[in-house]
Amino acid sequence: MRKNKLLLLLLLTILLLSACAGTSESSSPQYKIYLISKSTSTEFWRSVFAGANAAKAEYNVDLIIRGPETEENYLGQNMYIQEAVNNHADAIVFSAISYMENAPAIDAAAKAGLKIIVIDSDVNSSNVSARIGTDNIQAGRITASAALASEEEHISVGIVNFAQVSRNGEEREIGLREELEKDPRVEQIYTVNTVTDHDAAREGAVSLLEEYPEINVLIGLNEPLGVGVAEASEALDLSGRVRVISFDSNIRCIDLLRSGDVSALIVQNPYAMGYLGVETAWKVLEGQSFRPDQLIDTATSIITKENMFTVEGQKALFSFG
Amino acid sequence: MKKSGVRMSSLLLLSILTIVILVLVSAVLLFSRTYQQQLILTARTNSLRTVTQVSSTVNEYLSEISTVMQTLEEELSDAEEQRSDFFDVFLRIRPDVVAVSTYDAAGRLSHCYSSLGEPTGALSDSVNLSLDMERLRSEPEGYVSAPHVVTFFPDVYPWVITTVSQIERGTGERWIALDISCSNIANYISDSGIGRRGYCYLMDTDGNIVYHPQQQLIYSELKSEDTALTAALEDGSHVEGNVIYAIRTLSNGQWRLVGVSFLQEVLTESLRQLGTVLLLLAGLVLLAALVVSVVLSATLSHPLRDLESAMEAFEADADGFRYAPPRSGVREVRHLSASFHELVLKVQQLMKTVRDEEINLRKTELRALQAQINPHFLYNTLDSISWMCEQGKNAEAVEMVNALARLFRISISRGHELIPIRSELQHAESYLEIQAHRYKNQFTWAIDAEEPCLDYLCHKITLQPIIENAIYHGINGLVDDGEIRVSVREEGNDILFTVEDNGSGMTDEQIAAIMQKEQSDRAGIGIKNVNDRLQIYFGSAYGIRIESRPDEGTTVSIRMPKVQKEAEYEKK
Repeated sequence: MRKNKLLLLLLLTILLLSACAGTSESSSPQYKIYLISKSTSTEFWRSVFAGANAAKAEYNVDLIIRGPETEENYLGQNMYIQEAVNNHADAIVFSAISYMENAPAIDAAAKAGLKIIVIDSDVNSSNVSARIGTDNIQAGRITASAALASEEEHISVGIVNFAQVSRNGEEREIGLREELEKDPRVEQIYTVNTVTDHDAAREGAVSLLEEYPEINVLIGLNEPLGVGVAEASEALDLSGRVRVISFDSNIRCIDLLRSGDVSALIVQNPYAMGYLGVETAWKVLEGQSFRPDQLIDTATSIITKENMFTVEGQKALFSFG
Repeated sequence: MKKSGVRMSSLLLLSILTIVILVLVSAVLLFSRTYQQQLILTARTNSLRTVTQVSSTVNEYLSEISTVMQTLEEELSDAEEQRSDFFDVFLRIRPDVVAVSTYDAAGRLSHCYSSLGEPTGALSDSVNLSLDMERLRSEPEGYVSAPHVVTFFPDVYPWVITTVSQIERGTGERWIALDISCSNIANYISDSGIGRRGYCYLMDTDGNIVYHPQQQLIYSELKSEDTALTAALEDGSHVEGNVIYAIRTLSNGQWRLVGVSFLQEVLTESLRQLGTVLLLLAGLVLLAALVVSVVLSATLSHPLRDLESAMEAFEADADGFRYAPPRSGVREVRHLSASFHELVLKVQQLMKTVRDEEINLRKTELRALQAQINPHFLYNTLDSISWMCEQGKNAEAVEMVNALARLFRISISRGHELIPIRSELQHAESYLEIQAHRYKNQFTWAIDAEEPCLDYLCHKITLQPIIENAIYHGINGLVDDGEIRVSVREEGNDILFTVEDNGSGMTDEQIAAIMQKEQSDRAGIGIKNVNDRLQIYFGSAYGIRIESRPDEGTTVSIRMPKVQKEAEYEKK
């Protein structure tokens, strides 16, 4: 009886040892990660993709980038989510066009076992593993501080925001209005919602300016809208009379910032969103857990004509290679 | 010798394993230490070699650039027309050059040649990052800039590194600046990996990063380099914590190439391999130990255990033990088994001799005892007869004398050891008759025998000592009439005698004393003798059992097998 026990013990040890030797050889599998963006045409998103590709190389993941042409096509996004499920992806790095309308597709994907990482714009789902991006309320407040950084005694603000109910646009406006309303100089705040296209935004801004000529601060709350408002100001030759504040580092806006047509750019860190999105997806797949209720904040900065060519300004505005 | 203690094979196995593991562990510790140091050394050498290779490539590029600068300076003395033609060609064959610009002594842009178009941006807001006038005040000969964007053009802001140089034979132009795309240097550095995760980056002597393979990650503040540390380090390789830094200063004296590789990676990779080999080795050792244990157990401990259990069996039953020594196995064990076999045979022979001698001794002893007459009994009986004669009770006296004569005749029985039960009962009856007279009929007696029993044989003088005991210890001193009942009956293959009395009975101590005590105070056969005799001849299953209750009486039962012929008994 005792001999049997001894034999068993020895066999077990050998098994354990061989198991150890076996596992030490194996490495983690190559994960398939989908990045579904709101658009593929803006510099903001190209920068996101660049960051995602950097993480793809570093973590050796199979990265597939999908996104609709315009930032209204949430149905297209839902289709890509379905595609990710059908192609047995492991995770989706997702930026929602619609806070509500994208939620069922995301929930379905999560049910199919995919990990969901939200970047830039949130979705109404409890199945999100981590959230990464700009603290949009805070970005709105920063925008307000840029809007108010003038000597004017009477301020009327015109805001051009997305037509689609996207969470980041909403939050930016909340933060923005909250700060603006604190300032006694602010008399009126007008908002116009347009599709996120610089032509539409320009038209919206022009009609807003024509309707309310007292507007002396004009704000576009994302990259195409920012370009649109800058173009509107340029077209109506309002430079010097209207403070234009745009979002993100579109090259048009940079030139207009340089020429003085745009007063400030609120620059997010899209490269970081892309990189951290894929990196976090990988980490979640490797078993790490994050708190989805705590946003992983990528920095936001105000760039003006004064600081745009400082070392920090260059780093924020111009992507490297 | 039961189940306590350690088994020999376990002990052997354990000691082998302990020694092997000790040797293995100390070897591993010793080896891994040296191995680790060797690995670190190799890693440092490799790292430094890579950095040196990369730095020589970058040096070549830098010297190429300075050659280009000289050519450009020479070209500046040409006329305007020729210059533009030259730059057209030059910019086409050197796609890494973003712009060439010249400045007057005040730092104003004189000319700018670029494949990207006309320089309008710098003119509109007079921001020009390609010329740092402040720096030129301290370094009028020229310098190599940190990376920056080119600000000459609207719509395009490429990252470049600018080489600024003073123009010697000037025509009013004082400085020339060459903007070189960072992507070109990137090609030299980005692909120069060290190990799996190691990389190189370029910094200036103050620790500002000039080029990093993950430049955008650093700009986005997702990664950082401890350039304060590396700027303070000398050229060569250094181990700082978990990181190996290999540093080379480039030929321009302003830039330093830093190779970063990770000790952990080098060590874990190699140590994992080592670990795998060691685990395999340990597995093999364990397997070998297993085989050794099986072999040991088969050749040594198994036969020894067999021998041990044989000894236990012998201990338990020495008489019936039979031993067959093993024919195969280790020589020592075979010898041991053979010796044990010898021993067993000798012991059994000795035991047989002792038993035989014992039996003979007892027989002789009993014969001597049976031949004896209790002198008291004879004297008392004769005294009684004499008294009867004096009283004129002749008839009774005759009866007494007859009984006495019968008693003696049966006692002698012509030298036979065994007599028919019938005779034994007559003997008992005679004895009772005599004693009844002597005790003046203080007790009555009855003999009740089953007819088939009477022809079987029994030892002579089996009942008399029991009856004597019943009279002396039971009836004697009893006030009421005593009663002694002797019965004989069959029980299976046995004959059962019982002698009951209604006397004063005996305590357990008295019974024990009677069963053990030799008859010493009186001559003749005692109860113990009777019992001994039965057990010697017939075995321990037979003999005397006494049951007694004080004041109620005693029952003595004698069990013996049915014996039909004296020869049958002599055989035993």
